[in-house]
Amino acid sequence: MIMIRAIVRPERSDAVLAALMEAGFPAVTKCHVYGRGKQRGLKVGDVTYDELPKELLYVCVPRRDKDFVIQTIIQAARTGTRGAFGDGKIFVTAVEEVYTVSSGVREGVKETAAAPVLM
Amino acid sequence: MKEIMAVIRMNKMNQTKQALSDAGISSFNARPAFGRGKGNVDFRILKGAEQGHEEAIAQLGAGIKLIPKRMLTVVVPDDKASLVVQTIIKVNQAGRPGDGKIFVMPCEDAVRVRTGELGDQAIDEVI
Repeated sequence: MIMIRAIVRPERSDAVLAALMEAGFPAVTKCHVYGRGKQRGLKVGDVTYDELPKELLYVCVPRRDKDFVIQTIIQAARTGTRGAFGDGKIFVTAVEEVYTVSSGVREGVKETAAAPVLM
Repeated sequence: MKEIMAVIRMNKMNQTKQALSDAGISSFNARPAFGRGKGNVDFRILKGAEQGHEEAIAQLGAGIKLIPKRMLTVVVPDDKASLVVQTIIKVNQAGRPGDGKIFVMPCEDAVRVRTGELGDQAIDEVI
């Protein structure tokens, strides 16, 4: 499994969530964050805004679906025809183990190999 | 080192804190988050809404439904990872969808800002 963390514009996050749902990846966690990129924030006149509001999306998917999910997020998060500064970043990290709390089962391993969890 | 990211119910936070500190893991990071899992979506309603049935659209409501959750991040030495996972599962398991998910990720390094210590030394000792 891999964890895809996508930082997107707040106004595009609903579109990304809808696109992920349509693509068959409903499970997602969302956090509100503030940040800046290599453009050092937004400069309006003399004022620099270097803490821009963004949404951070966490999606955990099988490794084979990585490229598809990333393309889905990119297509939904991009603004304009060629994209613009501030559209966001996507980071991919490895996930070694995934557990579902309600069943206590470790995901991604065969049913027979799943270790029973103490109650 | 392992980074354990757990998404749990809001109202289980105090019990989880207590259980983790009882297990000897005192340090962690928590933040509010919003999320959805695979269980909360009825694809028939979704499909119906796509085809334009009014009842289905009414059930979907406006906007995208996300449930408020609490996200915990715990960084522990390798051998304590399963202890944390089991502790969180034990406290949060109600047997219903929405209890949460736990992700175990490798963590490259940790630094204690106060002293500049690196690696396992930077993580609080498990008492």
